[in-house]
Amino acid sequence: MTKEEKPGPLTKLPDVCVRCATCMTACPVSRVTPRFPGPKQAGPGAQRFRSAAEASVDDWIELCTGCRLCDTVCPAGVPISEMNMMAKAKYLDERGRTFRDWLLVRSDLFGEMAARYSKIVNPLMKKKAVRWLLDALLRIDRRRALPAYEYPTFRRWFRTRQAPEGGGPEVAYFYGCFTNTNETDVGKAAVEIMEAHGLTVVVPPQRCCGIPRLGVGDLHGAREMGRRNVDSLLKTVRGLDIVFSSTSCGLMLRHEYGPLLHLPGAEELALRLFDICEYLLRLREEGKPAATFQPIPMKAAYFAPCHLRSLDIGLPALELLRLVPGLDVSMIEAECCGLGGLYGFKKEKFAIAEEIGKDLAEAVARMKPDIILTDCEGCRMQIRHLTGLRVLHPVQLLRDALERRGTA
Amino acid sequence: MDLQTEVVIIGGGATGTGIARDLALRGIPSLLVEKGDFTSGASGRNQGLLHSGGRYAVNDPDAARECITENRILRRIAPHCIEPTDGLFVSLPEDGPEYRADFIRACGAAGIDTLPLSPREALSMEPRLNPRIIGAVQVPDGAIDPFTLVVENARDAESRGARMLIHTEVTDLIRDGLRIAGVRVRDRITAEAFAIAATWVINATGAWANHILRMAGLQIGLALSKGSMLITNTRLSERVLNRCHPPSSGDIIVPNDTVSILGTTSLRAEDPEHYEVTPEEVTFLVDELSRMIPDLKGERFTRAYAGVRPLLQLEETGDDRSISRGFALIDHGSCSGPAGLVTITGGKLMTYRLMAEKTVDFICERMGLHVPCSTHVQRLPGAGQGHTLKDRLLRLRRQTPSAKGEILCDCELVPREAVDAILREGKVRELQDILHRTRLAKGTCQGGFCVYRLLGLLNERHKADHRGGSNLILKAFLEERWKGIRPVLWGTSLKEEELIESIYKGLFNLTPAEPGRPGGGEA
Repeated sequence: MTKEEKPGPLTKLPDVCVRCATCMTACPVSRVTPRFPGPKQAGPGAQRFRSAAEASVDDWIELCTGCRLCDTVCPAGVPISEMNMMAKAKYLDERGRTFRDWLLVRSDLFGEMAARYSKIVNPLMKKKAVRWLLDALLRIDRRRALPAYEYPTFRRWFRTRQAPEGGGPEVAYFYGCFTNTNETDVGKAAVEIMEAHGLTVVVPPQRCCGIPRLGVGDLHGAREMGRRNVDSLLKTVRGLDIVFSSTSCGLMLRHEYGPLLHLPGAEELALRLFDICEYLLRLREEGKPAATFQPIPMKAAYFAPCHLRSLDIGLPALELLRLVPGLDVSMIEAECCGLGGLYGFKKEKFAIAEEIGKDLAEAVARMKPDIILTDCEGCRMQIRHLTGLRVLHPVQLLRDALERRGTA
Repeated sequence: MDLQTEVVIIGGGATGTGIARDLALRGIPSLLVEKGDFTSGASGRNQGLLHSGGRYAVNDPDAARECITENRILRRIAPHCIEPTDGLFVSLPEDGPEYRADFIRACGAAGIDTLPLSPREALSMEPRLNPRIIGAVQVPDGAIDPFTLVVENARDAESRGARMLIHTEVTDLIRDGLRIAGVRVRDRITAEAFAIAATWVINATGAWANHILRMAGLQIGLALSKGSMLITNTRLSERVLNRCHPPSSGDIIVPNDTVSILGTTSLRAEDPEHYEVTPEEVTFLVDELSRMIPDLKGERFTRAYAGVRPLLQLEETGDDRSISRGFALIDHGSCSGPAGLVTITGGKLMTYRLMAEKTVDFICERMGLHVPCSTHVQRLPGAGQGHTLKDRLLRLRRQTPSAKGEILCDCELVPREAVDAILREGKVRELQDILHRTRLAKGTCQGGFCVYRLLGLLNERHKADHRGGSNLILKAFLEERWKGIRPVLWGTSLKEEELIESIYKGLFNLTPAEPGRPGGGEA
């Protein structure tokens, strides 16, 4: 183990907890299932019973979705989710991971290919027989719709498009795998809204941020992914800011590369990484050239993803959305959508994800919005699944407000 | 209610309960009286160290041999009370290699197995050790749970016919001419007074030996030595860590379950009941032991406590029955005192079984009985029941709300059913009795967040009705708790204490009985 890979002094962490149990009230998983004892018990509590020299027994650690709500509410600053991540990594390193988990965290590798053949892949993924097979063989729950692939990919679109006359200050864009192959319009909207703010967008070489690997406790794999990204992105940030539109990719780049994975250069990178709405809002506050929005008379509901809360930047998307005339936007008062990334696709965890999401579905039912907006692709999938409503990234609506295209 | 028995044992520590068990195994009826609960004295206030004898090897080879013999016996008869951690005797540069060589030689002579380790080997086994160590020696030290050990000795003795009266204080010795013919006692909870007639009275009260002897106008040479210890929130090492130098204060760290116990000091005490851990002792222990574990100063401490050791000053006893320099069995009848009164004191937790054996051998000899001792081969009743940290952690899995698996104490993962089982047995009479029999309130919060849950359970079981109910019990607990946490109250512990205080004061509206600090006036 090289120095950079040395884990933090986890033995100290249970000492910082004052056992106030605030995290126990915030944890979406322990709220819906007694099988997960909650952040305090699974983290600082259990840590006193663990020994690095002995095999792990706490199989419930796998039920942590990694939403990090515990960290955001902890008044004592205990990195609870990090502690749980280390425990999960140790448990799964010892027990081994399933082929399903091996496959799912590598979706970045087959994504390009699947997008290229989306005309074949998409209908196939909807076939009952295929879903039944995936369910039975890989334990990917057949009740969960698989995201469709899109072609051309965002990357291809960006490379081949007719770029507008630039000249404005440059900014780099980290689009993330899902935007690239499954929700290309988010990337297009991000580029357009940034250009409308007088920026010239460049897309640096990049690959999967590695957060899916964290979901299965694969710290080694996540570190490998991160190392390659840091190497290429550092060259970019030594001149440009980088914005991201996917909350979870952003969280991974900004908060996990350094404190959790101890990647050299991560701190330098983190200083120049911004959420897209955070960045646009800052430009506007600094009095830089800003786009004006046309009215969109619509009732919208905004949901703040868990990982956005962890970024600790407030709710910049909501603030931007409130600049759109006629848009009646209010917050969805729910803690977590429940999907937890790949978590909610897994057969053994589907019921937990569903149960967590009930609160959100009920809140939406009371609000009766025309449209739902949220920054995270996981949340968008889950809210579509729970409500059947149209769910967009805030930048998609902002882009529509620019173009007076209307969204209805 | 007057009682009669063959042997009255005064004192419910390891020695007293050990004697009761030995007598019961040899078919001699006995009755044990204890003014508090079992383990209220030094038996419950020590480091929980299963000595290998290494600590005594150089200076006191007899004590070392005694220790290693009892060490092997206890591993056999009480495996569930012992964690066979092994121990390291660690040499720092200032300790020098000479003592280490003497140590290995002396251990060999006493029959203690040693395994010399290089600094590199020792550091890979115990990564938090000072990297400057010049070597270490592994010996068969271990951790022992004195509470379980004593309670199981008592339980086994009872199942074989012995009787036990806890919270029952001896108020006088009954004289019959030149003999002691029994004791007068008083129940400390009901205030009921009665007499117990007996042929033999055994004074196994440890540091309180002279309190009992004074009732017969006797006194033995006994010095009281206070030893203070600190408890950390987490376990610092897998093994017992000793300094490899002549025995001194502040030279040992004993892993105990989830925590580590740092010890000890040695200061003269006048009274076995009233003493406290001073700030000087806390500073001394942390400073001295951070030589072995350099980052000790950043550690969170949860509690400080002290015990009083009875140290014999043998030249004054004039007794030839002294078995070793560690403990003494005194037949007062044979040294110008009344017949029928025997005092067993000195010694240490490690030799409790041997002390009991010698005492009962003596009683048997006087009674003309020829029954050999069997406590060295008869296993204690709970032997075979494991309670490793892993087993305890798995209790979280069985936990479902309002079901049997409900956890009362979050820090130490004590399930409600464990407390229920103790209550069903019907032997406990006070809150502290329950705490002695479980690890409840022994964790990070020291009971701040779980004792009110326990009181709820007691109320359901109508155990809190007497003596003013839950409120008084709670206040008494908080006062006792405050004594333990006050000496180590800084950093995160202090923050947590503010939270706990606000819960008791603000939410429960608990008011102090007298002016002073709410949530635990100074005792």
